[in-house]
Amino acid sequence: MLDAGICNYVVITYGHSALWGGGMAQMLFQMTRNEAAFGHFGAVGGYALAARRAMHEFGTGPGTWQRIASGQRKWAALNPISVMGKKPLAEEDYFKAPMAADPFRLVDICLVSDGGRAIIVTSAERARDLRQPAVLISGMGQQNPSREIGQARYMAGPTGAKKAGKEALQMADVSLKDVDACQIYDCFSYTVEITLQDYGFFGPGEGGDWLKGGTIEPGGSMPVNTSGGQLSEAYFMGLTPIAEAVMQLRGQCGDRQLGPQTQTKPPEVILASDNGGILQSHACFVLKKG
Amino acid sequence: MTYNDLTPTPDADSKPFWEGCRNHELLFQKCAECGEIRWPPGILCPRCHSQEVEMVQSGGKGTIYSYVIYHQPFHPEFADKVPYVVAIVELEEGPMLITNIVECPHESLACDMPVQVHWDDVSEECTLPKFRPA
Amino acid sequence: MSLKDKYAIVGVGYTPQGKVPDRTSLSFHLEATANAIKDAGLKKEDIDGLIAYRHFPPCPGEPDVTPQHIAQHLGIEPSYLSQDAN
Repeated sequence: MLDAGICNYVVITYGHSALWGGGMAQMLFQMTRNEAAFGHFGAVGGYALAARRAMHEFGTGPGTWQRIASGQRKWAALNPISVMGKKPLAEEDYFKAPMAADPFRLVDICLVSDGGRAIIVTSAERARDLRQPAVLISGMGQQNPSREIGQARYMAGPTGAKKAGKEALQMADVSLKDVDACQIYDCFSYTVEITLQDYGFFGPGEGGDWLKGGTIEPGGSMPVNTSGGQLSEAYFMGLTPIAEAVMQLRGQCGDRQLGPQTQTKPPEVILASDNGGILQSHACFVLKKG
Repeated sequence: MTYNDLTPTPDADSKPFWEGCRNHELLFQKCAECGEIRWPPGILCPRCHSQEVEMVQSGGKGTIYSYVIYHQPFHPEFADKVPYVVAIVELEEGPMLITNIVECPHESLACDMPVQVHWDDVSEECTLPKFRPA
Repeated sequence: MSLKDKYAIVGVGYTPQGKVPDRTSLSFHLEATANAIKDAGLKKEDIDGLIAYRHFPPCPGEPDVTPQHIAQHLGIEPSYLSQDAN
């Protein structure tokens, strides 16, 4: 719309009384009509099926996902508005958490949050005259495998992230080496693993090793989901990761700001992702300091 | 909401499948042009776009593509059924179904494990195709 | 032509989050949007495109939230409205 000259300023908004209002439960039941008879509901079971297949195909599992969930929780502790920031999640806490839908524990699952979030997009020229430091959309890619999880053969990868990520990096003319941090759509811990894997940060099944030693945490070489993400900050679909990428590139993230104070690289380029359905849609954005 | 509200509500596309289940038959559409057996049912062959179909019956044998063990009841109707197993079963003929695995200790579950259909007549109107170890 | 670096994100709007009782879904859309407009230093009249994120089923007792509702309550008449499929 912007490119066609129809619009100058586009707002993208999300809002849901998902927790207090019970909206998320409504969504989960509507998602799976004919499968409800088998006790299969919504996204948790769907992504758990994907994660189980991935365990079978390339040997991932809770040991890998714990590093994601605990790592993001450390970022949440630095974010005063995060929902889970005051509750640490050490390795033993993760393994003690109750099973929800095996192989997922409750701590592998994103939060259900009341609230909303919005962003505004305009041209790079107009952005220069506005109040905030501009954050450029340097590249983007989308891929929609579309098939329902019950008939999907891509659940252990390559998912839509593979093609979307490649296209976004190509458009931005950068490589993974240029990426300073990632804000990954994290409806489940496994979603983070398969997305980073399909983007090419590590090979199938090498995620556990790659994550070892706090790679994605404060002080790590590739910070991921620095607000705490949907697992530990709050769930606003793709706007949780995108908003955080923008705020980090603007340098307005307070205690969790990437750079010297969190012993991380000051960010110039951040990868952000969004998913739709159960791995049915994927969007990747390369955002750059303007 | 009762369990009957959760049972499948066949529409014009899926009615032949669920009617087949009532007779303990797994019926699928097969494209009369290219031979693709399709699931979920629809008016068009996703491979060749032909609308010509014949119905074929599956032998009810397949393997577990993936599975999940529900420990939390996501609906009150399943409160006394946890832990239970939901799986994707890939039939020998090709279709992949969301279903339950029954009569199988959870510790023996595995991806690619052979299974066969196990009919569960849950009501007068509805029979569900579940699966058990072959 | 490539879209590389042609567009920018210039405003972000937050709302209270977590468990926030007595609030409708629509109210969160409105607060987030109004805050994003403020953050960018824009006027509401500047907004000529509105995309509502994937439409979730309304919460029990709430009417459906559509982009038209959001625009009406923001007091704007955008040239472009849509709801994302994701």
